[in-house]
Amino acid sequence: MNQSTLALGVEAVGCAAFDAGIKGAFGYPGTPSTEGFEHVEAMIHAAGPDRVAQWASNEKVAFDLALGMSYTGHRALVTMKHVGLNVAMDAYANAALTGVQGGLVVLVADDPGMHSSQNEQDSRKLAEFAWLPCLEPSTVQEAYDFTLRAFALSEALQVPVMVRLVTRLAHCRAPFQRQATLPPIGVGQVPGNRVQDWVLIPSNARRRYVDLLAKQPRMREAAAELNRLVPGTARRGVAAAGLGRAYFTQLILEYPELAALPRLDVAAYPLDPATEEAFLAQVDEVLVFEEDYPLLEERLGLRGRARVRGRLDGAVPRTGELSPRVLKDALGLGALEHRTAPALDLPVRAPRFCEGCGHVDAYEAVQEALRAIGSPEARVFGDIGCYTLAAQEPLSAIHGVVEMGASISLAVGAALAGQKPAVAVIGDSTFAHSGLPALLTAVESGADVTVVILDNRVVGMTGQQPSQALDQVERLVLGLGVPASQVQVLTPLPSKHAENVAATEAALRARGTSVLVFRRECIQSLRRGVLKEHDRELRERQACPTCVPEVQP
Amino acid sequence: MSATRIHGIVLAGVGGQGILSMAQILLEALRRSGLHALQSEIHGMSQRGGSVQAQVCFADTPLTSPLIEEGGADLLIALEPLEALRYVSMLRISGHLVTAEDPVADMEGYPPLEDVHRALRAVRGAHLLDTESLARKLAHKQAGGMAILGLASRFLPVPEETWREVIAQRFEAKGARIVEKNLEAFSAGRQLLPEGVEA
Ligand code: SF4
Repeated sequence: MNQSTLALGVEAVGCAAFDAGIKGAFGYPGTPSTEGFEHVEAMIHAAGPDRVAQWASNEKVAFDLALGMSYTGHRALVTMKHVGLNVAMDAYANAALTGVQGGLVVLVADDPGMHSSQNEQDSRKLAEFAWLPCLEPSTVQEAYDFTLRAFALSEALQVPVMVRLVTRLAHCRAPFQRQATLPPIGVGQVPGNRVQDWVLIPSNARRRYVDLLAKQPRMREAAAELNRLVPGTARRGVAAAGLGRAYFTQLILEYPELAALPRLDVAAYPLDPATEEAFLAQVDEVLVFEEDYPLLEERLGLRGRARVRGRLDGAVPRTGELSPRVLKDALGLGALEHRTAPALDLPVRAPRFCEGCGHVDAYEAVQEALRAIGSPEARVFGDIGCYTLAAQEPLSAIHGVVEMGASISLAVGAALAGQKPAVAVIGDSTFAHSGLPALLTAVESGADVTVVILDNRVVGMTGQQPSQALDQVERLVLGLGVPASQVQVLTPLPSKHAENVAATEAALRARGTSVLVFRRECIQSLRRGVLKEHDRELRERQACPTCVPEVQP
Repeated sequence: MSATRIHGIVLAGVGGQGILSMAQILLEALRRSGLHALQSEIHGMSQRGGSVQAQVCFADTPLTSPLIEEGGADLLIALEPLEALRYVSMLRISGHLVTAEDPVADMEGYPPLEDVHRALRAVRGAHLLDTESLARKLAHKQAGGMAILGLASRFLPVPEETWREVIAQRFEAKGARIVEKNLEAFSAGRQLLPEGVEA
């Protein structure tokens, strides 16, 4: 079977995982990785009950789900964005020691240029940190092929294998050729004589760390099969990875003279020193094109064999994503002639809340309540989701946003230093992601903090996936120890503004932890009917006399 | 080895206008015409009513770069005039511009519409389309985008039949009437240029 399919790069990874015979896919949404999971989820649902696709409450949970599945001998895919790997890092780094049974592939989508992220960290560095292989495709076809290869490699070396994409490839749509789909048959669970490998008490872990290091030469060999040395006649060479490789390959089509440059095409890590030496022996100067960190550049530079140029010496801008223009500038190729329009001041069209979004009503209530208690200037800690848009004009309602789930602990920390009032604003799915332990500590600390949970019932920003905390936010809050008298559920609507302000004011004046749940479904998910089926079932359950009624605070 | 000519298309608009869907139609139509094509798009926050841009490039050999550079676009298609202006510098000297006249002006600091239109008309070979009156004429609220595509299609090496096939398939699930309406809008746009003008 050799069908040609049209898909995004990140979808090609999902498709390959399906064809590699995975039993399950797990993930947490995050741009630009989300569609990878959604694609394989759709394939899994269409294929019947033999496989599962499950969003997790966060990336660490997703990773552990995949690892548990691997333990049983089945192949699994786990997907996340780059900063999600920070959350899953504990699991990822330690799974390097346990190793895997069924093949385990980690799709990580980096976001150079920070199109929709808070940093541009480089996941290749984290793979290196964990002593694990990383494959870096440059085209949609490679995204598919490398993922298939990653599963085979994962089982051959018994380690998790990362497939690293960047935004431009994740969201590049192109045709690719598929292979036959393997059935989700496992290799059998971890055998009895290897159980100790999976028990990372120090005595086992020491042994497993030695084992992991002993696998490094085989990882380098596997990577070397994908990395290519292309000879040339010039004394200036190019080392390119990922999209750098894609851009340079295409520039050769447009500027055939570039074919004279010796090339090191990097598609997989860890790098093999012999390949690096062989390349450097051919050149006096090297230009390095890679996304995010100067990883390759540093390695080549350390060999001291040639003048290595790239992000560190300014030949390539130190930050931001690569583009054909960036490569051409570094290569000394002139700009193209282009049209110009008469000068006119073009205001930025910034993203903003959808018309009628409940978040806006909630923020307006919070801001008015802060004015009412005489603290219009109070600093409010925000979190990550659509509601982060409130950091901008005209609302300017939040004054600190760091990482998923941070808002609650930031507010508690500030309260413990004497800030009054201390307010955190967090979405329902971010609360499920990593706000839960923070709220538990908030209650324990005794600090006076008000936690505003904006419950739109979905993960709004990434395309309205159902929230893991769906219909459970107040039960979770009560369960974590917030007294029922300090928990209020409100409806963020203009018509309820006055009562919402009053309730918020009361919460701001309360001692200890107070929680306001502003619940109104995301307009987009309503429009698309994402929760229609769920709500119908819920109504039926509630109408059923033998079912346990919903707990109301 | 001689240099390969790579053709670029930039699509610009506002979140929710259907830029990404239009880009997919273009990609499919080019592919069915035997060309190698790639499309690039940015998701995420850009969907919340912000500027949205997609790019499509094509050639007669396989391509690997999802991005084109300034001066690399043969065609700029815009569903909003201010968004069109943002990307004029992407156009080659010989490039064409096809844009809707009707603004999405729900933002601070939108320049006077006459200034925007004047600036666009100053771009040689620009085609501005009054999508609102066209939509009224065709009694089809969403006709604008398809008409813009129809007009733009005159500058692309895709047979009319292929366009119609791709559009029909795209809207198939929504029923025969919607397919008809979209094909009608496409044709209306395509016929706005006299024969031979694209040369
Ligand atoms: S997608 Fe939903 S949550 Fe996000 S701004 Fe729109 S309505 Fe609000």
